[in-house]
Amino acid sequence: MIEDATKELLYKMADDQLILGHRNSEWTGFGPLLEEDIAFSSMAQDKLGQSLALYQLLHQMGEAPPDTVAFMRESANFHNCIFTELPNGEYDFSLIRHFLFDAAEILRFEMLRESTFIPLSQLAVKITGELRYHDLHARTWIRQLGSATEESILRLQQSLTFSLPYALGIFEISPHEEVLRTEKIFEGENVLRNRWMERVEETLKTTELRLPPWESIVPVYGGRLGNHSEHLQPLLDEMSEVFKIDPTAEW
Amino acid sequence: MNSLDPRVKRLPQDVASNKEEAALSQFPTFEVFVQPNPKKPFQHEGAVHAPNLEMSYVMAKEAFTRRFTCSSLYVVETAKILVSAISEGDQNAFDLIEEPTKGTGNGMSFEIYLLQKRGKQTVHAGQVVASSPEEAMWNARQQFNKGTQVFQVWAIKTDDIRFTTVDEGDLWKTLPEKKFRDASDYKGGDKLKEFLDKSNSL
Repeated sequence: MIEDATKELLYKMADDQLILGHRNSEWTGFGPLLEEDIAFSSMAQDKLGQSLALYQLLHQMGEAPPDTVAFMRESANFHNCIFTELPNGEYDFSLIRHFLFDAAEILRFEMLRESTFIPLSQLAVKITGELRYHDLHARTWIRQLGSATEESILRLQQSLTFSLPYALGIFEISPHEEVLRTEKIFEGENVLRNRWMERVEETLKTTELRLPPWESIVPVYGGRLGNHSEHLQPLLDEMSEVFKIDPTAEW
Repeated sequence: MNSLDPRVKRLPQDVASNKEEAALSQFPTFEVFVQPNPKKPFQHEGAVHAPNLEMSYVMAKEAFTRRFTCSSLYVVETAKILVSAISEGDQNAFDLIEEPTKGTGNGMSFEIYLLQKRGKQTVHAGQVVASSPEEAMWNARQQFNKGTQVFQVWAIKTDDIRFTTVDEGDLWKTLPEKKFRDASDYKGGDKLKEFLDKSNSL
């Protein structure tokens, strides 16, 4: 029971990082300026590294090796939230997604520092710097563009309004919440969501961007249970294309 | 200039009329200074483009410190750095600094950087107090000139710098297992050699 609950937590976190890391890596070579191209690509690599670390924990618990888990599953077996799999579109959307997702991420790992599942609490400490930088990067961009020009404010506002229902999908309730909470492995998605809302509000307050009332937003759920949008399978096909030519090859 | 070649079109045609466009298409630059570990002095690492000082800090962190160890980093707008004449031959750059007329303003702190070897980075030498950048240069001459040749001297007003805060010190706390970022982790060379050996022996 405890093991199932822990695995479910690890899978959804790892899948989030892998899928969003891949999406963000699609900007490599196309970033709005060279420095940002480097920063965004580097953060995408951080996310892949974090997903690898989580898949390794799962492997130690008896799951298949990281490469197999990452490249050989069909979309229905992925537990990432739908938000992470949406195509990039324009940079304003990627920035808003980066801001909303990474705010949840830094808070989630802050909570996990206290986890009784020691390997996970150790990982949470190890990646502090990466999470801090991602959060700093996201907030600085949102503050900058969120109060710069009419166009930048309008673009961010549209992406924000579009993204919020998906962002709330990050906090889809797990069937194992109760076990995770009583075993002090993870305090739960609701606690995380409330902290996240405060954090998002705090940054947006310093900009011209407006948040609709939270209760008016209908969350997009399903990803955690494997019910994905039509965008995930093509992403997986592309991501695993080379790996599947020869799954036994050594890199 | 009317050409179908997009490269020609990108050339500035008339600087005056293009001023607005140039201002929009090119951010100012900021110089990046990195401290590789707490025992070493800060050294100049390079420049980044950014719309402002805070953004430049965010860009600099990943552009210059994503791979190697780093304990701290700071940035300052390029235009705000006073640089001395660069020395020729065996001239000492300190000797080229002239005494400015004595300023009357309040004393401010300046960071002094020295280029001690051609082609290397300028390295932090220490601080001086002065009422202007020019006076800071002159004071640096008094304070840091040991007679050995330096090639250039930089003076940066401490207040113009965006430092890494104490709280931000853990920005460089990261997963150590990131070999996949290094080319050396992909043993392409070995595999190529193996392949060539095989095909040569056929």
